[in-house]
Amino acid sequence: MEQERKDEILSAIHHCVKCKLCSISSFHPNAEWLPLCPSGQFYGYQAFYAPGRMEIFREILDGEITEPSEGLLKSVYACTLCGACYERCKQITSVELRLPELFEEMRAELVKKGWALDVHKNIAEKIKETRNAYGEKYEYKAKSPDGNADVLYYIGCTARYRVPEIADAMLQIFDKLGIKYRVMNEEWCCGSVLLRTGQVEAAKELMEHNIEEIKRSGAKTVVFTCPGCLMTFEKNYPDMGVELLHSTQFLTRLGGMKVKKQGLEVAYHDPCHLGRDLGIYDEPRAVLSTVADIKKMKREREEAWCCGSGGGVKSAYDEFALWSATERLKEAKEAGAKALVSACPFCKRNLKEAADKEGKGTEVYDIVELVNRSLEG
Amino acid sequence: MTQSLSKFVKELQAIVGEENATDDQAICASYSRDQHWHFVPAKNPAYIVRPANKEEVRRVLTFANNEKIPVIPYSTGINVRGLTIPVHERSILLDLSRMNRIVEINPEMKTATVEPGVTFGMLLEKTKKYKLRPAFPDAPLTASVLANYYLRGIYQTSAVDGHDHTLSYEMVLPNGETIKTGSRSLSEMPYFRYGVGPDFTGVFCAHPGTCGVVTELTAKLYRLYDNRKEYFVGFDDAGTPRKIIYNLMHDELAASIRLVDNQSWLKGICGTFDYPYEKLPKFVLCVLVEGVDGIFEAKDKLVQEYITESGGTVLEFPEEFKRTFEEESLGGAEKSCMVFGLRGNYHCIGLYGPLTLAAKYYEVHEKTALEVGIPQDHIHFYINPIYSFHGQLCYFELDIFYDGGDLGFGEKLRNYNEKQFHRLLDLGIYGWFRPYAGIIGPTADRIGYLADVWKKYLRILDPNEIMNRGKLF
Repeated sequence: MEQERKDEILSAIHHCVKCKLCSISSFHPNAEWLPLCPSGQFYGYQAFYAPGRMEIFREILDGEITEPSEGLLKSVYACTLCGACYERCKQITSVELRLPELFEEMRAELVKKGWALDVHKNIAEKIKETRNAYGEKYEYKAKSPDGNADVLYYIGCTARYRVPEIADAMLQIFDKLGIKYRVMNEEWCCGSVLLRTGQVEAAKELMEHNIEEIKRSGAKTVVFTCPGCLMTFEKNYPDMGVELLHSTQFLTRLGGMKVKKQGLEVAYHDPCHLGRDLGIYDEPRAVLSTVADIKKMKREREEAWCCGSGGGVKSAYDEFALWSATERLKEAKEAGAKALVSACPFCKRNLKEAADKEGKGTEVYDIVELVNRSLEG
Repeated sequence: MTQSLSKFVKELQAIVGEENATDDQAICASYSRDQHWHFVPAKNPAYIVRPANKEEVRRVLTFANNEKIPVIPYSTGINVRGLTIPVHERSILLDLSRMNRIVEINPEMKTATVEPGVTFGMLLEKTKKYKLRPAFPDAPLTASVLANYYLRGIYQTSAVDGHDHTLSYEMVLPNGETIKTGSRSLSEMPYFRYGVGPDFTGVFCAHPGTCGVVTELTAKLYRLYDNRKEYFVGFDDAGTPRKIIYNLMHDELAASIRLVDNQSWLKGICGTFDYPYEKLPKFVLCVLVEGVDGIFEAKDKLVQEYITESGGTVLEFPEEFKRTFEEESLGGAEKSCMVFGLRGNYHCIGLYGPLTLAAKYYEVHEKTALEVGIPQDHIHFYINPIYSFHGQLCYFELDIFYDGGDLGFGEKLRNYNEKQFHRLLDLGIYGWFRPYAGIIGPTADRIGYLADVWKKYLRILDPNEIMNRGKLF
């Protein structure tokens, strides 16, 4: 790391006075104690809260930590990079560095030292081999009806290979609405999982490929159902001169959908990449409110509790990921919701798995599934 | 030392469970610093141990005592002045945050009994339904109730609560014995401070973890009233508001009375950085009136009369500021922590003294800071008077908000402390708010034989000197 950047990071670390208000949601005026840091809440040691993790980074940068101990790896990687700590910190202290990015750089430092987790290295290997994060040999069968359409749907690895019902729903929505669209001939992983786990170099080839494909397509708008992919394109890719939209933004802008409200009582779970990273809070609610009745949870928007699967946690610390999802399901139930709805394949997958394990009947959907179901086509 | 470090960890894990004791360097590093690192440098504990109950605390202390391993009690992790940063090698940091039970809320007795991991936020959440609240420090509401009250009868954001909120507690000593203070020693009723013999509740307080580990504490709760009203009155100096503060305190009229400067704590009290504070008078007196019907109106009328004759300017703030002031005063400090964001760190000397010396404390604060090269706009100040106001008791805070990333500033602060401690002692204070090594050192010389008695007393309780040594003497 260059000295200038190191000094910037150390300065930011020195500015943390360890008030730990980053670990709870806004207390006033309801005076409710609501934890906000899944990692700290689950593991308990100071190392799993942002202030403690920053001290570990300081010791790494100062060369005091020289071995990849189990505690080091767990404290660095058992964090979903949800960014709730940063949202709280900036309300209080006008902190200058985004904590999720700080922690990503911390991971990149570990990778440079050869201390990446094996499970994350395996993902990188799978991506190298198959161009998707799950190492699947087959392709999701998506027709691309209009090769010259202005709208390109970037499906993403999770919706292709783990929760295809989301991709199916989005494609059907396009069809029902009569929108000309296409999918990429060769859609490679966007690189999000590599970037979030510090494997920055490994992501470069993927990014180059996707940029080239999108440019060659001539599409003017790229639509995403995966906020992780969208955030990666927004923040890590260079400007390609195309519009990047989340599905809910696309549908909001389109307006005038003929949908039939289902009467389902749902809670909306803000995906971290969509909400805290991209500031997209209103459009998902606007779309969802046309097809279901939304029940408000206690922790929402900037202060939403993370589903637990991001930042490489699902692959490395599944028990923690599922615990975090279960906490969210409880909150939805307390709000009086029969279903928990998100706008992210990664959230859906983890929440659904937790709901199935719990067996208490909470349904889990992505917004586009409910829209598709309600859309008169 | 004959045993290997891993052997110690295994023994500790046998007490608290494998997941709750570690010597992992990274985990230990996360406990290595607090905001006072310009004075107390980073140092990793050798072990972190997270007991779940008092029996585990007892067994850990007994083990540490036998092995002569230093122990640093730590509650919820909101620490200042380096009080939980190790001095010695091989230290066990005893992280008590898992012990977070609210043992009892007794609305009839107006008390709460809590374990060390209970925060002010957690406690208020449970007491508010009884229209009761704890006395809040101007520390984040993530801080431990038990540790704050035990560390010192705290200053607080509500003058009306008085000074001492601790009724009784139980403490595990290094030899494994448990002592109970106050009425707790005689019965199952822990609601009275003075039990048998001396005021042991007080005697064990204010030693930052150097006597033993407090595992349960009973504290006073205070009433929450529906009737509330707020006033903000501007003054150009710290001396003029003395009269109105005296009057309000003497007549016991206000729940909260805080004199703050217009560039630091006022921002947190109002809850925003985005306001032209610089256009306000230099000092602002924030007053909150509360009470039951009838009494409230009468108090409010008198408060208004005192404000009129105070010589100050009544400031018209948005309703939102008033609400935030209420919440910060009677609901725990959250936005007040915005002061941490002014420049990224803060230094303060907190002390108790009489209101009569308010202007002089500010004068010497400013003088010393400027002498050592601290810019004028880094110098801040506030006063919280405390009921029942005998001795015109006030908590004063001499603050310097500075860039924590400016390593050179630490030298200025150390120079400031070196001069300022002596100047304040020469000027006359009642006592330091928070006992810690840097401040007790220059003070011990002035308290005569009491310092010897204090040290001997600690030696009796902790003959092997395992309890957070180096944090006082």
